[in-house]
Amino acid sequence: MSEESPEIVKPINADQPVGEVLVFAEQCLGELQPVGLELLGAGRILADKLKRPLTAIVLGHNLGDIPKTLIAHGADKVYIADHPDLEQYRTLPYRRVICKWIEQMAVEPHTMLLGSTTTGRDLAPRIAAHFTTGLTADTTELDIGDYDHKGGSDPSKIGLYAHCLYAIRPSFGESLKARILGPWKNPQMATTRPGVMVPLKPDWERTGEVITIPVDIDSSDYRLAVKETFREVNQTVNLAQADVIVAGGYGLGNPEGFELIRKLADCFDNSAVGASRKVVDAGWIPYNHQIGQTGKTVRPKVYIACGISGAIQHRVGMQNSDLIIAINKDPDAPIFKFAHHGIVGDLYQVLPEMIRQLQSSQSSSPKEVSSVV
Amino acid sequence: MSGISDILVLIKQVPDTSSKAGLNPDGTIDRAKAKRMLNPFDRYALQAALHVKKMYGGRVTALTMGPPPAVEILLEAIAHGADQGYLLSDRRLAASDTLATAYALHKCVLYLGKMDLIFTGLQTTDGDTAQVGPQIAERLDLPQVTYCEDFSIEEGKLHARRIVEGGHQDVICNLPALVTVANAYHQLEYKTLRGARLIQELNRDEALKNQYIHTITLDDVSADPELCGLKGSPTIVAHTDKVGQIGGQCVMHQGKSIEALVKEITGGTQIKEFVRQ
Repeated sequence: MSEESPEIVKPINADQPVGEVLVFAEQCLGELQPVGLELLGAGRILADKLKRPLTAIVLGHNLGDIPKTLIAHGADKVYIADHPDLEQYRTLPYRRVICKWIEQMAVEPHTMLLGSTTTGRDLAPRIAAHFTTGLTADTTELDIGDYDHKGGSDPSKIGLYAHCLYAIRPSFGESLKARILGPWKNPQMATTRPGVMVPLKPDWERTGEVITIPVDIDSSDYRLAVKETFREVNQTVNLAQADVIVAGGYGLGNPEGFELIRKLADCFDNSAVGASRKVVDAGWIPYNHQIGQTGKTVRPKVYIACGISGAIQHRVGMQNSDLIIAINKDPDAPIFKFAHHGIVGDLYQVLPEMIRQLQSSQSSSPKEVSSVV
Repeated sequence: MSGISDILVLIKQVPDTSSKAGLNPDGTIDRAKAKRMLNPFDRYALQAALHVKKMYGGRVTALTMGPPPAVEILLEAIAHGADQGYLLSDRRLAASDTLATAYALHKCVLYLGKMDLIFTGLQTTDGDTAQVGPQIAERLDLPQVTYCEDFSIEEGKLHARRIVEGGHQDVICNLPALVTVANAYHQLEYKTLRGARLIQELNRDEALKNQYIHTITLDDVSADPELCGLKGSPTIVAHTDKVGQIGGQCVMHQGKSIEALVKEITGGTQIKEFVRQ
């Protein structure tokens, strides 16, 4: 049958029941993590398109107002698992409680979303492997739509599928966005980086159902124990909250270049040091500084990119910064395509000069600083 | 007694994006022309495995899945001190997604026998998903430590530090366990002269090479081909879009003295609002 055929094709999965959209809402030390609310914002759109409820699942201990907050941000139903042994995230007990809850549902969720955090990226693949279902990592867009599967090695799968989850992510090192689908099995799963999706404005009048779910942990789930969790107060890695981020890339030439990056960051209040993936891969700076698709997503007031070429991988992590200043030797570097200000020059000349000028402006009143030369 | 006898490291060969070879002008990759390298995070995993061997004893096996050239990274692992390498190579694995890959690799682990510790990189630089490690752990019903940046083994248990948002977390885990390594904490020792010579010998002497490197297929590990490759993959890439260029709005500062260029930024943009006073 040709594409122009006027016949209306009935989707293969037209008669299958469609389940809810389930969001894993992560808490840490009793505090709801913002990514859960962001996922509810994205999930609400998917649930409305599917005409199915949006639900949230949260595990922890003494969860307080968390269910209310989730409902205010778009959840129709909240599943809570409250148990002292769930207070801190651990892979095996969390995986057990969630999988068991999904298994007892009359219809499994159509979609399940988790944050691409150290927790979500630890947990999501375990759940996906448990249900042998598809999982797309680090999505930047989500949607619902039809899919006409034409090929593949498995003829039994060919045909039109209705209301599939579109999980969209930039593909590796390439200027391509890939739309990834897995309509053959539910839940269709995806993780999304913090800071990518937009939460709904809370409506505190909104009502919803709160359901306490059973906590049945197996003794084998205690094979790992959390001894201690440290949160650094150190501003240099607090990328999410920083007003100014100074980030270094391979153009620095060597790991010592980060001394200069730190010095420049120190010229600003509430600043942090970031890095491209290449320098993290090279071992110049720890992974928790990495910005980009496989690192953190940031949107500071000012982003100063030093010796970073600006590949799509990096761009998706910082392109929403209010002001992007790029310094690079190569006038053709992709970063100049989306930065607001670009300096073409040698970092080892530009950065010391910038530090000198900023330090000298510190001693003078900001009003005395002249504008454009 | 650490009780460690067998250590497995899962590694992957990826295109080398730091080299211009194989990079098309539009930024896409020509995989046939691209140089190949050991996935950087897997290098850390190899470091971790060799560190265990050095400190606590045991035998290190490197396992990879890929086309025949992937044998290069097994040789690299052996040159650094791994004891043997296994290459799972089978046409029926083509187009495997993470779930199908994890299925095939977990069958290899079962084939290789009991492992006390399995290391792998946090993620690969060509897939970026960080999913295969945990999916193998789920298939093998093992506890896992992801984002591991440091560890020791005390009284038969793994004491590990993992990265979490804004800090780190210390955990104690029973063995056997699967660990995904995020940092180059344990520096890889340079290829010894002995290692380099061994590789030369292996490249000359096929029979000797076969003692170190074993190429296996899905049949060898009793994997169901229906659960591998495209057939065994619940996800497919349905569509790709070029990412649109944004802007062209960049104000370029060039061709003046460095002092003047920098002044245009420090004086002419709102960054001055954030300068520490």
